[in-house]
Amino acid sequence: MISVRGLQKRYGDVTAVDGVSFEVDTGEVFGLVGPNGAGKTSTLKMLCGLVEPSAGDVTVNGFDAGETEMRRSLGFLPEESPLYDEMSPRGYLRFFADLYDVDRETANERIEAALDRLDLDARDRPVGDFSKGMKRKVAIARSLVNDPDVLVYDEPASGLDPLTTNTVVEFTRELADDGKTIVFSAHDLHHVESVCDRVAIMRDGQLAATGTLADIREEHGDVSYRVFTDVPVERSEPAGDRHVTAVDSMDDVEAIRSAAADAGGEVVDIRTDESTLEDVFLDVTGT
Amino acid sequence: MKARNVLRVARWETTRSAGDIDRETAVAFVVVLLALAAIVPALVTMGPTPGEGIYRVGVTEDSQYADVVASDPQLVAVDPGADADVVVTDTTITYDDTAKGRAALSTLRSATVGYNDFLMRQEPDQNAAFPVVVSLTYRPQSIDVTGTQTGDDATDDDDDLDGSEGGAGAGTGGDDGQQAGGDGGGDGVAGGDDIPATGGGLSGLLGQAQSGTPSSISPPFPLQSLVFAFAFLLPLNIVIQAYGSSVLAERINRRGEPMLVAPISRGDIVAGKTLPYLLGALALISAIAAATGASALAVLAVAPLAALFLAATFFGAMLARSYKELTFVTVTVSVALTAYAFVPAVFAEVHPIAAISPLTVVVDSITGDGVTAGQFVLSTVPPGLAAFVLFGLGTGVYREEDMFTQLPIPSKLLDALAAPLTTRWRAGLWTALFLPFVFVAELFAVAVLFVAPVSISIPLLLGTVAVIEEVAKSIHVFAGFERGQYDRTFRNALVVGAASGVGFFLAEKLLLVTQLVGLPELDVAQAAFSPELLGASPGLLLVAPLALHVVTAAVSAVGAARSRLAYLGTLALAIVLHVAYNLAVVVVSLG
Repeated sequence: MISVRGLQKRYGDVTAVDGVSFEVDTGEVFGLVGPNGAGKTSTLKMLCGLVEPSAGDVTVNGFDAGETEMRRSLGFLPEESPLYDEMSPRGYLRFFADLYDVDRETANERIEAALDRLDLDARDRPVGDFSKGMKRKVAIARSLVNDPDVLVYDEPASGLDPLTTNTVVEFTRELADDGKTIVFSAHDLHHVESVCDRVAIMRDGQLAATGTLADIREEHGDVSYRVFTDVPVERSEPAGDRHVTAVDSMDDVEAIRSAAADAGGEVVDIRTDESTLEDVFLDVTGT
Repeated sequence: MKARNVLRVARWETTRSAGDIDRETAVAFVVVLLALAAIVPALVTMGPTPGEGIYRVGVTEDSQYADVVASDPQLVAVDPGADADVVVTDTTITYDDTAKGRAALSTLRSATVGYNDFLMRQEPDQNAAFPVVVSLTYRPQSIDVTGTQTGDDATDDDDDLDGSEGGAGAGTGGDDGQQAGGDGGGDGVAGGDDIPATGGGLSGLLGQAQSGTPSSISPPFPLQSLVFAFAFLLPLNIVIQAYGSSVLAERINRRGEPMLVAPISRGDIVAGKTLPYLLGALALISAIAAATGASALAVLAVAPLAALFLAATFFGAMLARSYKELTFVTVTVSVALTAYAFVPAVFAEVHPIAAISPLTVVVDSITGDGVTAGQFVLSTVPPGLAAFVLFGLGTGVYREEDMFTQLPIPSKLLDALAAPLTTRWRAGLWTALFLPFVFVAELFAVAVLFVAPVSISIPLLLGTVAVIEEVAKSIHVFAGFERGQYDRTFRNALVVGAASGVGFFLAEKLLLVTQLVGLPELDVAQAAFSPELLGASPGLLLVAPLALHVVTAAVSAVGAARSRLAYLGTLALAIVLHVAYNLAVVVVSLG
């Protein structure tokens, strides 16, 4: 569905994105995470043809980024919600539906459906009166007026209150369930963790890690085991009426099992402690 | 560009803008338009009266001069015993021997002649009233750089002089009609013969016949042209305010970003956003044309100027970082373009330099003077092409990377100039496309300098032309090197410079359009556009300018490829070379 190869973007002497490559399959939710200035937004803008790459290729649905046909099948949500204060949501969304060649009847159906799902009732008031969350909902609805196959969302829940953030997260998950292919960036790692099938962690314009959450944890995260025995073994510490030993590998676990058996006891419990995505993020990005 | 997309954006822009205008602004706009619609026709039909009642004439109500004083708005009758500039009694006319007193006397004399003419025009037998009728035609003024006058010119002048005398003969026929006229002309107070007559101008404005001695007849006062020029330019200045704000609004808070992702081109967006304002400007111009009696040709002539107002505003709004900077931009655009259109048009009835302004077509269409095809082309094509190029440059930076960045104006200007330079030969293409700006700037320089003495205007113009042309040939080349479009190599500099020089040379030949309207009759225009025509050998007409432009453009490009400072140095050198070339051509042509 989406193919990114050797993507590079230079702004003068600054290289914002440097050799980024990844693939996103149909119906997949792909998250881009990384600290500020890592190159996430530049990557997303090149993905939807808004910014021309200095090098590399992007194809979406077989079309090069920026091609008219590619734009028809894509919905973009920028980091801000740039709306026209004097326009109502309905008027604004109808105009964009018109730009995408959506007939009036279909457009109205989609607009009402999207606003219903986003729980936005004020549809004829000027958006200048709206809160940031309400404006965000209008902007999200705009990204859907052409019923796109691919959605590119840049920080969809950025700066929103927890309630609205939850609404946006839930809505993103619903869109994924509808079969949309979604690429989005976020700072909220819980958001990423709860929605994404795969994640790419960016650092200094490059991909520092890519894969499923499990893959990334396995490759970049830490796994430790706490082994509980009913007899003391070497390096164990008392834990109530049991003894616990912390080890880093299954080999060590097996060694403890043998030691406990030699002492006439046994392993009664093993607990696994995995790094969170946040731990991995901090580790990979060096922050 | 797709018409359907353009219309969609245009419709949206109209709806959005209408919603953006608050009630007070809308009311103020309508009031200005209504005032303009009311004032302009009134000024045209009634004529403004500068200096109304400034001269006090002591005259009794039963005097024959009482009606004369009443006929001239500059004169006001007062009791002979009161403080007056001129006092008329039954036998004498006395005046204060001051500048004002002499001017009052002169005005009274002109008013007397005019009053006599008025009475004569009431006579049933016009052949008896005006036994000799002479048509008076004002000939274009020309300044000979050599200081000599051709025989033909001398003959023409003689003809004009005869005409004037004929006119005077017709005017003095008033002796039979009104004794006061004869007395006024012949029996004036001592010193009257030394006082130049100053009247006649306003009567020309008001459409009255002119008559009198040659010295009392002056070219038509251009106040009418001023009024027309003002009336047609004012709406454009209002429209660009709204347009500039709308363009900048797309850039503030990145509001235009979503549209850049939509399946329409940047050209569609720009054209759609511009169309309502262009149509609005044309509608206003058409309404004013209808109110003033101007023809459709006048509207067609002003349309490219309206486009240039919008294009310059669009380009400026793409560079401005805030509404404060936008104000600076729109004021600059307004002043520069108003000066370009307004100043020459003031001379609509008296000098060929007026042909460069579209407003001259407007004035001529209202006054019934013919408009030649060449005049129309000269006044409309340069602003039209300049508008096209400006829209092109502005559209080039109508993209995410330039629209929403807060770079200084010079930096964005370089971005805009560098963006189209994707290949080396494109430097030549864009040099050629800059020709309308060169043309407009040089025309404006001619318009400003043509009144100066030749000994000053020609050297100044040669220098100005060199600066304009060398900057036009090199500024985008410099931008190309600065923005990394071209590698900074000596070979690249030579190739790009040569391409720019050739592009300029080829496009410059289009300046021969000036031949169509007779501007080269002006030596100052020849010096600006085609110094070779002053007399260089035909063999050099092609080779010499081509060599000049290629060499100077290459010189500038070599500096541009090195650094900003080096560019400034080589640009100065190119300008010096160009000035030397122009001076050499002029000197050679003068023998």
